[in-house]
Parts: sequence; structure tokens; C-alpha cells
Amino acid sequence: MATVSFRALVKAYGDLEVVHGINLDVEDGEFVVLVGPSGCGKSTSLRMLAGLEDTSGGDILINEKVVNEVAPRDRDVAMVFQDYALYPHMSVFENMAFSLRYRKTPKAEITTRVMEAADILGLEPLLQRRPKQLSGGQRQRVAMGRAIVRKPQVFLFDEPLSNLDAKLRGSMRLEMKKLHRRLGVTTLYVTHDQIEAMTLADRVVVMNNGHIDQVGTPDEVYKSPKTLFVAGFIGSPTMNVLPAIRDADGSVRVGGADGFSIDRSDIPEDAPQNLVFGIRPEEVFVGETILDDKGPVVTAIVDVVEAQGPDTLVFASLGGHDLTIRTRPDVKVKAGDAVQVQLNISRSHLFNKETGRTL
Amino acid sequence: MFLKPKTKRNREIAFIWMLLLPALMVYLFYRIIPLLWNFVLSFSFWSPGKPFEYAGLYHYEEMLFYDDAFWTALKNTAVFMLATPISIAIALGLALLVDQKIRGRSLYRTLIFLPYPMMVVAVGIVWRWLYNDSVGLINYVLRSLGLIDQPIAFLESYSFAMASVMVAAIWQIVGFFMIILLTGLQNIPAHLYEAAVIDGARAHHRFWRITLPLLRPSIFLCVILGVIASFTSFDLIYTMTGGGPGLATELLITYIYKASFTLSRFDYAAAVTIVMFFLFLTLATVANRLAGGDAGKVDIAD
Repeated sequence: MATVSFRALVKAYGDLEVVHGINLDVEDGEFVVLVGPSGCGKSTSLRMLAGLEDTSGGDILINEKVVNEVAPRDRDVAMVFQDYALYPHMSVFENMAFSLRYRKTPKAEITTRVMEAADILGLEPLLQRRPKQLSGGQRQRVAMGRAIVRKPQVFLFDEPLSNLDAKLRGSMRLEMKKLHRRLGVTTLYVTHDQIEAMTLADRVVVMNNGHIDQVGTPDEVYKSPKTLFVAGFIGSPTMNVLPAIRDADGSVRVGGADGFSIDRSDIPEDAPQNLVFGIRPEEVFVGETILDDKGPVVTAIVDVVEAQGPDTLVFASLGGHDLTIRTRPDVKVKAGDAVQVQLNISRSHLFNKETGRTL
Repeated sequence: MFLKPKTKRNREIAFIWMLLLPALMVYLFYRIIPLLWNFVLSFSFWSPGKPFEYAGLYHYEEMLFYDDAFWTALKNTAVFMLATPISIAIALGLALLVDQKIRGRSLYRTLIFLPYPMMVVAVGIVWRWLYNDSVGLINYVLRSLGLIDQPIAFLESYSFAMASVMVAAIWQIVGFFMIILLTGLQNIPAHLYEAAVIDGARAHHRFWRITLPLLRPSIFLCVILGVIASFTSFDLIYTMTGGGPGLATELLITYIYKASFTLSRFDYAAAVTIVMFFLFLTLATVANRLAGGDAGKVDIAD
């Protein structure tokens, strides 16, 4: 069992710095997901932790010990790669036993441990097969099995589900969650898929451009995004953003002339004038879902209605700005309608337009 | 076949034959017919201008029981074949080196590959000069360094001639093998090595357990090409030593040439050719068996 920490961790390739001094503390047994768009430095950070890349500055700690100069084999971490990196010339059994062979594990124990992992992952009937003879999901399991047999201090996952089809991805996600609960091993998981991040993580680390924008539980990053980037990245469909201007009297004008004003005398005096107003699609009400006192009611023009079954997405336009509304399927609106919409102000967010940070 | 009803399938078959035909004709006239003719000839008495007569196993008996030169040539061919494993070992070393992120690696690759497309006769002549005892570079260097007192006539010496010819052969083919192995190396996904590093395999483990097994198809290709080259290295031997001194560098292929065109014993040469053909066939089959099965067909793409 182990804790993992990044202290002002930097990675640079020549003059190009890709990870800018990030700090992170992962607790023992925690499942932490690093999420962000491609090129945000999440994979690089994971690879530095694995020891596949050198650090350019700062420290990596495993169990409070700096491991910057420790060889990958001695860090006691196991990694699952996106393409699984199974050894094509070895059977499933040999693939899983590979690491144990180089750790002076007695033969009998190798067999016990591989069988144990095979049992957990349901791989027993496949042990003599070659990776080529397996389906994508089975290969994924073998890759996880290879990590499990090691009984490492830390599991590292680098986009492990990206090569699977959507349906399989969903079921593997569930299995990974169960597996983590069963083994309780500290896990760092890298993905660009915010749904994976939200569903798997104890805590989500949202990365953007080599910085950590926010660390928090899935609920926290969803409900209280600290930056505009987090607000936009987490959640699907994404959060609605409307331009907002702060007036001297403490009111904020949202959405320009066709928009509305809200009273935000609570925001500090030195806050800038140009703001961004953000609200999740499910916090915008339409038709009979409108309630008293939740917030201002304005008129929007419906562009497209998407019935998704359990709920309906309404894509509308408010004073020329896009507004997405998630509503109940029984709410009847159709394209072209001018409808009344209500914005749930208590669940809305204001960001500094320049810095992108929440006020 | 062309007269059958014009169904789609028949048209396709006709098309396939049309594409195959030119290559098949060449193969037939330059390979199959000469081979069959050789086969017939090896059981006959015949040379240009003389009548054709059945000889039974006469030539084979002579070859196997009375002809020491044949056995020497056979032994020399076997020795000469050792150039292949040596070349592959050197080429693998070079491929591993130029696969590193070193400065000017494409220059090294080019330089090492350069000898391969050269005309073998030219290579032979250059090496003959290098080995020459009075004007050759090698003797000059060795003497300047004080390593030898007397010049060595490498190609005229019983002890050095075979080794000298093999060095030239290795020098020429090493670059080609290196390119084959380099391609093989670069087809091994980097993730496999990363996984192995994290799994705890040290550099030499990674070489023996990952690099080498996954290079097997490339190495096998080199073995086959090397074996073919050692059976057919006529031009190099002929220009460098002509099979001499004595029979020191006589290979089966040069022996066959001499039997036919120097001694005009086409019938006897045909018998030697048949023996060489079956030796080669056996070797190729064995090599195929060794590299075959599952391991030879490792699909790295997966």
C-alpha cells in the first residue's frame, strides 16, 4: 500500500515545457483519475511516475520517499497501457508470469499467483492462448492480470479502455471499479474521457496545458468547477456559458440586451467587469418545469430538440448565444418555438473572463 | 480452359493465368527445364560434339568415392557458409547500434549498407588489391604498425585464403542484413519494452526475451539469403582467388564451373549440380522447420 505525491513536478523537452510544476497528493488506496484533453500532460506525468520518462524538475514521492532516481523496476508500480503491450510471442500465462520471473519468485508461487489473477479476471480458459487469439476485451483483462500478479504498491493505467468499443468500455469500467474495491491498491488512471473520470474516480484531477486546474471528488468538479476549463470539460452536454458584465451597483447583466440581470452584490469590489456566466443544462428549466423563485425567466428560441429517452435535450438560442437545456421527456417543445426558460441562479457559476477562474 | 463458357469465375481464372504466365515462362525455361536437363545429363555420358550415352550412376560413384576435389569443395562450401551466422551476428550488433538515438545514425546506416549494391566483381577486385602482398593496404597497415615483419600473401596462402574471402563476403552482405534486422527492430512496439522495464526485465533480459524472439522472422530471412549467397558466391571467389591456391577456396559452385567449362565435363558437372541442389533443398527445409511453426509467424502488429 502506498501514497504517491508530485512536488512541483516539471517535464520539459528541450525548451518546451509540457508539465509546469504540478502538485498532487494521492492517499493510500485511493483511485485518482487524471483527466484532460490530449497534450495536457496527464500521460507524461504518469510516465514520469512509472519511471519511463525522466523528471525535469521537482520530485515524485512514493510512500514519502523521493523516487526520481529509482529505476522503474524498483518502484514497485505496475502499468497497463492503452494498446495493452502484451508480449505477442508468449502465452497469456507467460505474459502474466513475466514480471515474477525477474523478481526471483519461486515457480510454485508464480503459478499460484497467476492462477489467482486468472480467477479474478476469468482468464483460466485462455491461459495457453497467444494474445493474437484474444478479443480486445480479453487482451485488456490480460493486461490487468499482468499488473495484478505483481501485487504492486501502485497501479498505473494509461487510457486502458480507449481501444475498446463503447459497450465493452462500460462493462470494463464497472469491473475495474470492483477490482479496485477488492484489491484496494492505490491507483492512478489517465483518460481523456470525462465519463470514465467521473464514474471511476475517488478524486478527479483535471489537467489543462500542463497545469492542474482542479482536484476534487467527481461531485465537486461537477458542481463547483474552479475554472471555466473544468466547467467545460466535465459534463456532457457541456455547461452553458454566456457573457456577463458586472455593473457598479453589484448587479450582473447576463447575455446582453436579450438577457437578464442578477443581483450579485456578494462578489468582491475588485472583481473585473467582464465575466462569464455558466450554468449546467439541467439547471435550466423550460415549460412546466419552471418553478417560482428559482431565477429569472427569459425567452429563448428552440433550434433543435433531441429526445434521448430518459431525458430530452433542447438546443436553443438566448439573445444569439447557444443555450442547451436538459429536461423531462414529457415537456413538449418543438423546433422554432419561442419558449420561456428559467435559469436556476443558485446553481450557476461566475468566472473571471480573463483568468477563467471562478470568482 | 479459355473455351469454357464466359462465366465470371472463368474470366477471373483466365486473368490470373495471364498475369502469371510471363513469370512462369521465365521460371520454366531458366529453372525447371535446365534442372531437368541437368538431371538427365547427370546419368549420361555427354560433352559437346560427342554422342549421348546412358551412364547410370557412373558420375555419382566417381564423385562420392574417387573425387577428393569434390569433397574438398563440399567442405569448403560448409566452411564458407559460416560467413552467414557471423554476418548476422555482426549485422544485429550494428542494427542495435544504429537503432539508438545517436548523432548521424542515418549516415552510419548508409555507409554500412553501401557495399551491398556494389557489383561483386568490383568488390572482389578491390579486396584483391587490399590483400595484395606488395601494394595492398592491409599489409601496409600491418607492417607500419609493426605487427608483421614479412608481407602476407593472403589470397595465395593456404591458411589465409578462405578466411580472407569470407571477410570480403561478410563485408559485402552485412549492410543488407543490418537493414533487414533494423526493420525488424523498428517493428517491435516501444510499449513492449516499456512494459518489460516496469515488469523488471533488465537490458539483457529484454534482449533475449523480447528483441530476439520478435526478430526471429527477420533473422530467418537473413539465414535463407545467406545460405543462398554461400551456395552461389561464384563471382566473388572467381575474381578473388579462382578457387585457389590449389583447392583452398574451391566451392561447389566454382568446382561445377571448372568441370564444365575448363574440363568440358558437362555430364559430371551436372551430377555435382544435382548433389548441390539436394543439399540446398535439405538445408532450406531444415531452416524453414527451425524458424517455422508458430514462432516464425509472430505477428507483431498485434
